[in-house]
Amino acid sequence: MATDDSFRDVDWDAMGGAGLTTRELAMLAFGGMFLALLGFDFLVLHDGLNWLLGLVEGPQFEWVAEREGAPLPFAIDLSTSDWLLVPTIAVMLFYGVWPLYDNPRLAAYYWRRFRRNKAAMVSAVYLLLIFAVGMIGPALVETPELAFDQVSQPPVFMTADMSTTAGSCVGETVTRTVDGTPTTLCQGTWEHPLGTTNEGKDIVTLLVLGMRVSMKVSLITMLLVISIGSLVGTTAAYYGGYVDEVLMRYVDIQGTFPSFFLFLILAYLFTPTLGLLIALFGLLGWEGTSRLVRSEALQRTEEEYVRAAENAGASDGWIIRRHILPNVSTTVITNATLLIPSFILLEAALAFLGLTDPSVASWGKTISAGRDYLSSAWWIATLPGVFLFFTILAFNMVGDGLRDALDPRSEGRS
Amino acid sequence: MSMRWYVARRLAWAAVAAFVVLSGYFVLLQLAPGDGRAAFAFSVATEGGNASAAVETFEQTRGLTGPLHEQYLDFMSNMIVGDWGWSFTRNEPVIDAMAKAYPYSLQYAIPSTILAIIFGYGIGLYSATHQYTLTDYFGTFVAFFGISIPNFWFGIMLILILAVTAPEVTLFGVELLPLPSFYQTGVVEDHGWFSWANARQLIMPVIVLTTASIAANMRYSRAEALEYVHAEFVKTARAKGAGDWRVLTRHILRPALVPLMTIFIADLLGLLFAGAYLTEVVFQIPGLALLSFNALINQDTPLVMATTLVPVLLFLVGNLLQDLAYTVLDPRIDYGDR
Repeated sequence: MATDDSFRDVDWDAMGGAGLTTRELAMLAFGGMFLALLGFDFLVLHDGLNWLLGLVEGPQFEWVAEREGAPLPFAIDLSTSDWLLVPTIAVMLFYGVWPLYDNPRLAAYYWRRFRRNKAAMVSAVYLLLIFAVGMIGPALVETPELAFDQVSQPPVFMTADMSTTAGSCVGETVTRTVDGTPTTLCQGTWEHPLGTTNEGKDIVTLLVLGMRVSMKVSLITMLLVISIGSLVGTTAAYYGGYVDEVLMRYVDIQGTFPSFFLFLILAYLFTPTLGLLIALFGLLGWEGTSRLVRSEALQRTEEEYVRAAENAGASDGWIIRRHILPNVSTTVITNATLLIPSFILLEAALAFLGLTDPSVASWGKTISAGRDYLSSAWWIATLPGVFLFFTILAFNMVGDGLRDALDPRSEGRS
Repeated sequence: MSMRWYVARRLAWAAVAAFVVLSGYFVLLQLAPGDGRAAFAFSVATEGGNASAAVETFEQTRGLTGPLHEQYLDFMSNMIVGDWGWSFTRNEPVIDAMAKAYPYSLQYAIPSTILAIIFGYGIGLYSATHQYTLTDYFGTFVAFFGISIPNFWFGIMLILILAVTAPEVTLFGVELLPLPSFYQTGVVEDHGWFSWANARQLIMPVIVLTTASIAANMRYSRAEALEYVHAEFVKTARAKGAGDWRVLTRHILRPALVPLMTIFIADLLGLLFAGAYLTEVVFQIPGLALLSFNALINQDTPLVMATTLVPVLLFLVGNLLQDLAYTVLDPRIDYGDR
């Protein structure tokens, strides 16, 4: 019976209806370009299988001119972890930044709440700086090499005994009386503002490269953990019954292994390159997230809107994608941000123990190198650790801040 | 579904998980490098013997020949009995090497755990009931510090500050600073396990290990207690005139204890083992973790496998105890639900 209050015409296209939204089209376009680039690198620039089997942590950005037999005068040789980084950042932009851009009121709301937490704001700024330096820095600094003419140089404004520097000194030497005897001391220079290691590698360079490593580890693992964890969690919660049982049993098994020892054993069996290490972290570290997502999704599957969507004929995939996932996303994001520090710490610990790829300039590796020189060249072990500490602290604070800002349940808490 | 049925299911699951872990270890053992046969063959060859025959004898005596399922059964029965293989770098059975090492691990792990529980839960619970006070801010600061600082770097910094660059400080004739920069077993032999000299060696490792655990405990206990601080029954208790202490111990602690117990065992164990690993490597304490690390470097596979198996199995047992404790402590949970 048609009345004035009849069923209104809904503009399904504006709602994102049955077709693809602009965002999804953009994602498909990006995905296509990325795969094309990957295919080009795989087939044209490399000798095919070598790339896949080697999984080598190659040079990060290399502009090779006039390579014999090369079809082009340049080649960008990206390692596995670099290749993983590109889609990671793309996904972060598409799923994180774009929705906020689409929904400015919500973004402003979150921003207001996040801004209240001063510590989190400072940490966020620090992390953005690290991100920027980590992305651009390694292209600007040269690969550190062994250099015996600048062993253990002290940082600027400090001096070191010539025995520490094994007789080498980049700056000027000065003779002072130390403990009664005149000793020659080497002074730090601005060429190496934070000094050099016992192998003559500049510490600033190592710090910058380490930033990249930490950044890769944090972002890529977070993405893998979020995707696999939320997929498994929502599927288990939505379908319930047998599917739930099987998935959660598997998650239990994966959770029985304390992650540190799992990675220790894996690092023992084969020295993983950075890309492989990140992949292992991501593929084997998601059980906590999936449990969290499952408990959140379980609360959502009983909601009326899910019931309504089922009645309207939405498919399972649609309901999971469009109704359940967005509603558990805030919990997932805060959980992920709090997971990142533990992965950075894990990578640093494994690098410290010497179990990771020795060609990767991780902060943990530099700290380990400086361990034997605490009494003489203390800056080698101290400085990377300071950065590591502050980066992890920053992630923890931002995670806490995000949880207070995004998670509506934490209203009642302090 | 009754509690007994749940407990039985949980125990069965733990057994299954242990079985899966051991089988996984068997698979890893097949893939792993270095169980000494290369070194053995080399030493035989340099003495002019027949290297390949030597390798065959080696494999036969170690049970490495034969079809895979036979090896598997041998492996499983050996594991259960306690014959965990031979460590060729230390020239003794793996079990003996571990028996010698674990007292060194316990002597710093136990004080650290006790301190972490007492101070962690204590400060956490206190700051939950006294929010926004100085103790609360101090607690939050320590919590952030503790979970963020990399264990191994903290250890190295402590060594730098308290051992390498510290001035000499003595109090009443007792030498306080500088602390020894790494652990020496000679001190235990000369002065005994409970001497001041031994304790001095352990101060820094205990500090390092405790920090991370305290921080985690503090955070969890504070968060859990906060859930109940604003509860109705607490308001009732206060209205009836109960003091802070009574409210804390008799009303908040009991319901907060349930999740605390569940977090206590599993996460604490995880932190403890990983932290102990790094602590022992930094301070050179000859405990289980350093044993494992040296085995790792020297590629002594049986020792590596056994020493990493122990924490994994302990973790499994810990999870089991945690789940069982949960059923005892919280009468509300429905055993049919997961």
